[in-house]
Amino acid sequence: MPAHSKAGGRGARWILSAPLIIFAAVFVVVPVYQGVQTSFYNLTLQQPIAAFNGLANYAELFTSPGFLHAARFTVLFALAVTTLETVFGFGLALLLNRAFPGKKVLFTMLLVPIMIAPALLGVMFRLVLNSDIGLVPALLDKVGLHIFLFSPNAIVPLLVLLDVLQWTPFTFLVMYAGLQSFPTDVLEAAQIDGADRRRTLMSVVLPIMKPVIFAAVFLRLIDAIRTFDVVYVLTAGGPGTRTTTLSIFIYKTAFESGDFGLAAAASTVILVVLLPIVPFLVRRITREEP
Amino acid sequence: MRMRARALVAAALGSALALSGCAPGTGGSSGSAGSGKGTVQMVLWPGPEGDAMSKVVAKYNAGQGKKDGVKVDMTLLSRQDTFSKEATLMASRSSNEDIYFVASYNVGQFAASLDPLTSIDASNYFPVAVNGLKYQGKQYALPLDVSNHFTLYRKDLIDKLLHDAAQRAAYEKIARKVIGQARAPKPVDDWDWNDFKATAAYFSKSTNPTSPTRYGTILQAKNLLYNTMIWNDVLWGMGGSWTKNGKADLTSPAAQQAIKLYADVYKNHWTSPDSSQAEFPETQAALKSGNTAFAVQWSAGFAELNDKSKSPGVAGKMAIGAVPGHKTHVHALAVALNKYSKNKAAANKFLTYLSKPQAMSIYAQAGGIPAMPQVLQDKASLNPAFPMIAKSIQQYGYAEPVFPKTFDAYSKLAEDLSGAWVGTSAPGSAAKTANDDLQSLLQ
Repeated sequence: MPAHSKAGGRGARWILSAPLIIFAAVFVVVPVYQGVQTSFYNLTLQQPIAAFNGLANYAELFTSPGFLHAARFTVLFALAVTTLETVFGFGLALLLNRAFPGKKVLFTMLLVPIMIAPALLGVMFRLVLNSDIGLVPALLDKVGLHIFLFSPNAIVPLLVLLDVLQWTPFTFLVMYAGLQSFPTDVLEAAQIDGADRRRTLMSVVLPIMKPVIFAAVFLRLIDAIRTFDVVYVLTAGGPGTRTTTLSIFIYKTAFESGDFGLAAAASTVILVVLLPIVPFLVRRITREEP
Repeated sequence: MRMRARALVAAALGSALALSGCAPGTGGSSGSAGSGKGTVQMVLWPGPEGDAMSKVVAKYNAGQGKKDGVKVDMTLLSRQDTFSKEATLMASRSSNEDIYFVASYNVGQFAASLDPLTSIDASNYFPVAVNGLKYQGKQYALPLDVSNHFTLYRKDLIDKLLHDAAQRAAYEKIARKVIGQARAPKPVDDWDWNDFKATAAYFSKSTNPTSPTRYGTILQAKNLLYNTMIWNDVLWGMGGSWTKNGKADLTSPAAQQAIKLYADVYKNHWTSPDSSQAEFPETQAALKSGNTAFAVQWSAGFAELNDKSKSPGVAGKMAIGAVPGHKTHVHALAVALNKYSKNKAAANKFLTYLSKPQAMSIYAQAGGIPAMPQVLQDKASLNPAFPMIAKSIQQYGYAEPVFPKTFDAYSKLAEDLSGAWVGTSAPGSAAKTANDDLQSLLQ
């Protein structure tokens, strides 16, 4: 290829990418930079004139029982929901990876939860599960089950259940797409070799689907660590701090305590923890592509 | 390798320089008086207050505003996020808005971004509403709307209890068991917190299987700063307070009793186990459904419960009474002048107009609850609850101390105490944690 045409190709690439680069710079890079910058300042509503305080916000954060508790709860919650959503999503994808009557209707119904805004879903759950006027407790009452879904002992399992209901459709969709592009000749070869269903699943389907499963797991994990809307609407982090996630901790620190420096430091910590996952995820997906 | 290390050190130094050099807002002007004319930008939240205020603004723009040369442009933000968005504007020392919407519980936190109101007559307001908006002796906001608490109760059930001999006898027996003393049922207006407890037990199936309701009451026990305000009624009603001689006082006997009252009601199922996540809407639902006999609730809840279209099961049976212990938290929703406004003189003209009973009469007519006792009395025909609100605030109203971190204190106390209210943490240790947190916020 002549040199001038190579240079022209590079130029076109930059021109075509420019809108995305500008968008990312304005809406991602600048806010992230300002957020990280704020984390090194004492900036509160009581003292809106910022003063540089080095690592003081980070020191305060890592000795704060509230932050450490929120981090512990968030990690456990994220691991629990990601595991369940991966298993159920994969199971559903296997179930729907064949033709049967009513498949389209079922498919559409399965996707409804991810089409609803999480905050709205939280409000809906709050109404539907209300023990005085909610449909679910009324139905459970009718069959003799008196369960108080918002009581302290039930609240964490309830939040896990609601997250699974809301986000399993996402993992299902990713894995269903993976199964749709699955090489059928490999399955036929396994069949000819006499592999039963279990053996085919464990030794053929799962290894080939690994990059897709990784993608679903990591995308969900990153999102679950940022969980805010439904939990905030339903519990606001309580009772006590039992269900306080890192995002709720950050929201309350910024907008109830008015401490923007500390909230920015907590956000930066999450960013630093989550950022290395992205190249790892990209590497796994690109290296093991079927 | 060496080059890489150098590059890393250079990058670190560069970042440090950039981070310390370009602070997120280290300066900025403190606004100006402006010409005294032009458009005044104001923020409010939607709902009854925003609706009522829009009528006042329209009236002003069509009349007095023309004489003043001022036009008010009101923006309604979302009810959930108004204060968060204002906080963000304040942190960036924005001059976009001239008048902010604030409340007694956050005026101390916002004071650094507000100008004190020095030339406005506050004599027509409830003193408790005005005092709740003072910080370090200065008036930072003009009261607009008042909120306080009442006991909302099923009049049919309480009347029957008061007049039926068999029910009275059963009540006395239950009272002896739950509060340790024989006690006859009383009208709601005469209750102390022991009457509240005994009546909650009486109307709960867990203690009284013949109760007409499933639960006596509903506690608003969610980890929410507004729920701290309701619990404060118990604390104040038992003779306690947040502070004593300027120091946190949440380990006092009154505070311990107040926590224990919630914990007892919750443990004995005199409130729904789900009330650990209850706030205003859940309380309304519990009363509407007929499952619950009474609750301490915000004044705004009463009208809906007596509206046949909204509460067909209980409308006409609900009544309103004083909070047990005769102490009600009062907070004012208010308007304040942005310190960084570029049009303070014009904004002050509108604030002066708002401080007049005529403006607040328009506000009351449009559905608001103005913080002026005389206007509430005069407008009794508009809302029968107005005189009760006026009487209750004048006789039983109190305001929590105002300090820079009051808003944070409400939130922290909800976080520290809500576990103890519903039995997930020990009352003693919760009180100590709350006391330590409050003390550090006071400093």
